[in-house]
Amino acid sequence: MTTAYRVWEMMERSKTGPHIEEDDFLPKLFTPTLKKLITKYEIKFDPETPLPSDDAMADRIWQAGWDLFRKVGIYNTDSHRIIQVSDEEIKEALYVAKDRYWVGAGKDAKLWKHRQVEDTEPPFCIYSPDITVDEHLHHSMCAAYLKEPLLDGFCAPILENAVGQLIESGGPTEINGCIQHIYNMRAAARQLGRPGTFFVAVGTAEHDSGQIAVSDNEWGVRTTDSRLVGTLTEFKTANTLLNRSVHYAQYGCYTGNLTGPIYGGWCGGSEGIAVTLVAYSLNGLLIHGAMFNQHFPFHLNWGSNTTRELLWSIAMAGQAMARNSKLLYTSNGFANAGPMTEMLFYETACHALVSTVSGWHLWEMASTRNKYRNRATPMEARLGVEVGHAVANMGMKREQANEIALKMLATYEDEAATASKGKEYQECYDVQKALPTPEHYDMYRRVKDEIADMGVEFPF
Amino acid sequence: MSLKQLSKLVADGEKEESEALARELLAQGTDPIEILDDLTRTMDRVGELFANLDIFLPEIILAGEALTAVVDIVKPKLKSTQRLPSKGKVVIGTVKGDLHEIGKNIVKLMLETNGFEVKDLCYDVDPLDFIKAAEEIGADFIGASSLMTTTMPRQQEIIEFLKDKGLRGKYKVVIGGAPTTQIWADKIGADLYCEDANCAADKMVAIST
Repeated sequence: MTTAYRVWEMMERSKTGPHIEEDDFLPKLFTPTLKKLITKYEIKFDPETPLPSDDAMADRIWQAGWDLFRKVGIYNTDSHRIIQVSDEEIKEALYVAKDRYWVGAGKDAKLWKHRQVEDTEPPFCIYSPDITVDEHLHHSMCAAYLKEPLLDGFCAPILENAVGQLIESGGPTEINGCIQHIYNMRAAARQLGRPGTFFVAVGTAEHDSGQIAVSDNEWGVRTTDSRLVGTLTEFKTANTLLNRSVHYAQYGCYTGNLTGPIYGGWCGGSEGIAVTLVAYSLNGLLIHGAMFNQHFPFHLNWGSNTTRELLWSIAMAGQAMARNSKLLYTSNGFANAGPMTEMLFYETACHALVSTVSGWHLWEMASTRNKYRNRATPMEARLGVEVGHAVANMGMKREQANEIALKMLATYEDEAATASKGKEYQECYDVQKALPTPEHYDMYRRVKDEIADMGVEFPF
Repeated sequence: MSLKQLSKLVADGEKEESEALARELLAQGTDPIEILDDLTRTMDRVGELFANLDIFLPEIILAGEALTAVVDIVKPKLKSTQRLPSKGKVVIGTVKGDLHEIGKNIVKLMLETNGFEVKDLCYDVDPLDFIKAAEEIGADFIGASSLMTTTMPRQQEIIEFLKDKGLRGKYKVVIGGAPTTQIWADKIGADLYCEDANCAADKMVAIST
C-alpha cells in the first residue's frame, strides 16, 4: 500500500489548520525556521567537495528536514490555512511506506527499490526530455526515448499544440492535448515492443482537469503508471493540486511528488536546498500519499542544477534520505547547455554520477535550462544513465566519485552562465527512424571515452 | 548618525532601526531628496549582490521592506517643489491558470526598489483584470508573467483584448517567465521581453523614454 490512507484527514486540515496570510507564510515562517534549523544542526556547504562523505551531517540534514516539515507545514493558497502533521504521523508513514514497488505492466514491469549510499544496485532510470516539443515531432521523440536500452520508465515531452490549436491550461484544448500526449506514448511503446513500459504522464496537463481526463486503463494512463503532483515553491499547495492527489489515490495509480526548490530563493543557499529536499519528501509521503518523490532543485539565475552548489545539495539530501528512510526518490537533472554539445554530455554525466553514488534514482535530462522547445534528445540521458549503471556496478565510493565530479566540473563549470543552446531534436536525430545522426552519436561516444579515462568503467 | 549608517541598515534589512535613523536625520535637517538619492544607490548595490546571488531572496526582500519604510517617512517631508522620482506605474501579475509567482515577485521587488510604482495583482489573473487595473491606476506598463507553456497564451490574450478595446497604444506590455522567449514576445506583439528579473527595470526605462 501507499500512504494515501490519511488523505481525507489531510484535506480536512487544509480547511481547519492554522491561518496565516499568504504574504507572511514564507518570509515570517518558512525562511526563519529553515535558517534556525541550519544553524542548530550545524549544516555547512563546502564548495571544494561537491560530493561529501559526511554521514553525520547527512543524518543532521535528515533531522532538520523532518523538523522543517513538522514545524512549518504546507500552506494551502485556496483555504489560507496550513496543513500540519505530527511526529507520530511522520513515523507511522515512514514505517508503512514500502521500500519497493512493481511498476509498469506485463513483461515490461520493473521492480523499483530503495537504494543506499554507494549502492551496487543500479538506479531506476526514468528518461524524460522535460521540455515542450512541436506536435509533429512528439511521436518521433517518444519513440526515440523508448528505444533506449536502459530505460525503466518514461515521461514524454510536453505538447504546446494539438490538432493545430494552442493548448491553454484549464480549457478544452488542454484536455485534447493530454489525450494526444498519452496516445502518442502508447502508440510508440507498442510499436517499439514495450507496451507495458512504466509511464509518468501526462506532462501536458497543467490543470487537474487535463490529468483526470486521461485516466483509463485501456487507452490512457494506467493504474500501473504514475502521475505527478507539484508543490508550489516553496511549501505551498492549492486545491487544483490536491484534486490530483485525491484523484490519483482513488484511481489507483502511483503518485509522484514533484518539487523544485530554488537556490537563491526562499531556501537561501545550498544548505537550505538540502534540508528542503528532505522536507519535501516527507510532504510527498504524508500529504500526497506519494510512492516516490521527483526533485529538481535549480539555480535561480541559470535554471540548472549541475554546478557544485546544487550538486552538493543533491548529494547531501540523497545521502540523508538513503541513510534514514526507505523512500524512493529521483534526481532530475537540469543542464545549462543544449543538445549536441559536449558540455551537456558532461553536465548530465556529472549529475548522474553524484546522484547515483548518493542513493538517488535517476530522472534524466532537462537540457538548455529546461526552456527551449525541441531542445532535448535521448543521447544525453543515455550517457547519464550509463554513468549511473557504471558507478553502481563498480560500487564506487563517494571519495572517488567526488574526484571524478571535480574533473567533470572543470570541463564546464565556468560556462554555466553562457552555455550554448546547442541544437534542436530534429537537427540531432533522424526524425523518421528516431535514431541519432552519426555526428551526434560520435560526440556521445567521444565524451563517453573521455569519462571512461577518468575512471568510470562502463559495462558496454 | 549618517546617511552611510542608514544605507547599511537598509541594506541589512533592519527596518525598525532604519525608520528611527531616518527620523533622526530628518530632524537634524538632512534634505529628504539627499536621503532618497543615497538609498537609491544603496538598493542598486543590493540589487547587484542579488543578481550575482551573493545574497538571496529573503535578504533583498528585507532590504526592500526597510527601504519602503524609510520612503514612507521621508516622502511627506519633501517640499512642494520636490518630487519623488517615479519611473512609471506598473500593473503586474501572473496570468490566469498559473499559480507560480516567485519570478513575478522578484520582478516586482526590483521595480519598486528602482523607482517604479507597482500594483501587484498576484497570480491566476484574468486578462481583463490586468486591463481594468491598468485603467484604474493610469498605468504605463502591464507586466504579465507565465511559468507554464500552457499558460503563455494568456499573455497573448491581454494584448488581443487591448486591441479589441482600442487601448493597445496606451500601455506597454512586458512579458516574462521561465518558458517565455524573445521569439514568443515578438510573435504575440509584446513591447518588451525580460529574460530575468534583474534586467526588467533598465529595459523598461529604456522603452519609456
